[in-house]
Amino acid sequence: MIEVQNLVKEFQHTVAVNDISFSVKSGTIFGLLGPNGAGKTTTIRTVLNIIKPTSGKVLFNGEPIKKNFLNQIGYLPEERGLYKKSKVIDVIAYFAQLKNMSRSQAISEADTWLNKLNIKQYRNNKLEELSKGNQQKIQFITAVIHNPDLMIFDEPFAGFDPINQQEIRELIFSFISAGKIIILSTHQMETAEKLCSEIFLINKGKEVTSGNLARIKRDFGGNHVEIKYNGNVSFLSSMDEVVKLDTYNNYAEIELKDIVEPSVFLKKIIDKIELTHFSVIEPTLNSIFINLIEQN
Amino acid sequence: MKKILTIAKWEYLEKLKTKAFIISLIITPLIIIGFSILPTLLSNKEELRTKAIGVVDPSGEYFNQLNSELRKYTIDNGQPNYILLNLTTEGKTTDELKTEADKKVLENKVEGYLLIKYGNTDSMSIEYRSENFGSFRDLGRFEEKINKIRIDNELLKKGIDPEVASVIQNNVELQQIKIEKSGKEGKQDFLVVFFSAFIFILLLMMMVIYSGQLLVRSLIEEKSNRLIEILISSCTPEELLTGKILGLSALGLTQIIIWSFIGISLVGGALVPPEAFENILPMLVYFILGFLFYTTIFVGIGSIVNTEQEAQQMTTYISLILVMPIVIAVSAIQNPDTMIVKVFSYIPLTIPSIMLLRFKVAPVPVSDIIITLAILILSILITLKIAAKIFRIGILSYGKRPTINELIRWTKEK
Repeated sequence: MIEVQNLVKEFQHTVAVNDISFSVKSGTIFGLLGPNGAGKTTTIRTVLNIIKPTSGKVLFNGEPIKKNFLNQIGYLPEERGLYKKSKVIDVIAYFAQLKNMSRSQAISEADTWLNKLNIKQYRNNKLEELSKGNQQKIQFITAVIHNPDLMIFDEPFAGFDPINQQEIRELIFSFISAGKIIILSTHQMETAEKLCSEIFLINKGKEVTSGNLARIKRDFGGNHVEIKYNGNVSFLSSMDEVVKLDTYNNYAEIELKDIVEPSVFLKKIIDKIELTHFSVIEPTLNSIFINLIEQN
Repeated sequence: MKKILTIAKWEYLEKLKTKAFIISLIITPLIIIGFSILPTLLSNKEELRTKAIGVVDPSGEYFNQLNSELRKYTIDNGQPNYILLNLTTEGKTTDELKTEADKKVLENKVEGYLLIKYGNTDSMSIEYRSENFGSFRDLGRFEEKINKIRIDNELLKKGIDPEVASVIQNNVELQQIKIEKSGKEGKQDFLVVFFSAFIFILLLMMMVIYSGQLLVRSLIEEKSNRLIEILISSCTPEELLTGKILGLSALGLTQIIIWSFIGISLVGGALVPPEAFENILPMLVYFILGFLFYTTIFVGIGSIVNTEQEAQQMTTYISLILVMPIVIAVSAIQNPDTMIVKVFSYIPLTIPSIMLLRFKVAPVPVSDIIITLAILILSILITLKIAAKIFRIGILSYGKRPTINELIRWTKEK
């Protein structure tokens, strides 16, 4: 488990991270979400011990981070870049060795990964000879080759085509079943929605909201249903449960009072009109994100 | 420690494999050797042919003697190097002779001609007139022989025995002998001393500039593509810096060694005076420490600049400090105990080069060796600490170069 407690990072003129706390358990994907410049990267760098916090603590399995903690983390930074003039196998082996693997172990693991990601034919090519997508794969390998307990991915899908994105997504899920801790930083809400079970929304260095994704959706998404029908539904607007009604041709969106359970509401109206469709509208994380940031 | 070696090995091998390194390894000595050998090759070429040289000598006093003296110079096939043609005709004025002779030069009948002119009293002057400039060797010979003939003739006129005359003309050479503690005597040639120290300082400077720039460039590259973040999340800044410095130092040494081999095998050891290798061990210590010191400074610079142009400017300025002692080299060789030499021996930036120089000039007191080594080693350790701190913050700051105040604050941060 990784715990961040009351983290503050001040630079000369700005407070980049202002008193944030969160914890991530093994086997979870934790989404660190926020607009550009919100403080995501600064938070990550502090967790990685690249920069020191002004105040606050980062604990790994209950202990303050030490030097050999570095061997247990894998980091995929947002901006990609490797030694372009060097050979693929050498670069992967170098980074693996920096994570304390032996040379021979590093080479054999590198071959396994190249095979797994279907790029073993480029083993002895220089990096600059590979396509952008394949270079990204190499970078991904360098982040996970040493089987770290904590993986931090900053915009992991940027630059991948849909097929490769699917491949990487499956890998990330496999890490979760293996009990890894994964922190995923992104501003692509759709990605976060598909992957993360816990999220932390940060803006201007401060926490906006955090917790279980389903709960957040419930809390901030409002209580909306949509119906399709034949007949007249104007009576709905006079019902106590209804806050707002938007009708279109044989289709309506209804905002219910927060205390009203959609299923109870359905029972009430089911005899009064000819319903062809009834569903609860799930708010997208994207709309919650935009709403919250705007309110902020 | 294991990570330091991994980094050092990576930096060394990856840079060793680059085309730029291989090219510089071979091209640089070829250029240097080319520059030093080419002029000799070119001027030696002239020996291969016989030259027709005219002489206009109204008095007729010099032609025969000059002819027989210059006959002594021959070319490879035994033919004379010069054939003299007497262009003097009786009853013509010097001006008329000159016009005729000039025409012969332009018609390529002679290579050029010597015009001997007499003044009012005993004075005389000589001109070598030709279409192209004559070679230094030819002109030097003409001048030497004419002067010899003139002195011989003058002495003979005054009734002095030719044997005495030849004794008088033998120059006496002054030799300098350096007295050493061991009781040995050593010939001390200013040029040998100067150049053998100079070569070490120059090598040091070349290595510092070359490796320093490699180091700064690799830092800038890693900084600009954020590789540095992966590195720093894998090892400590101190490990990364030490590894880089060691790897690139080894690279610089490799280069120097290969250059020395190329140099010695092409030119032969003959040109390197044995004096150059005196005190080689203590000199190597200063050489390596000096190199480490400058490289450490470059790391600090590499972490605060963002482009290669900026880096190049700063590395060039710092390397110039290294050569500064050469400016005072002349006075240092003649008088190693002057104040300015002592002062430079205690400034960390100039210690390496000034000590390289002092070892060549006079015995260096043990106390001075201990003090300068202590200053140098301490400076390296302090600079490494400061550089690592600047590095830690500097590598993540992009954009504007930090001010001095900011740098000082960085070094104070925990």
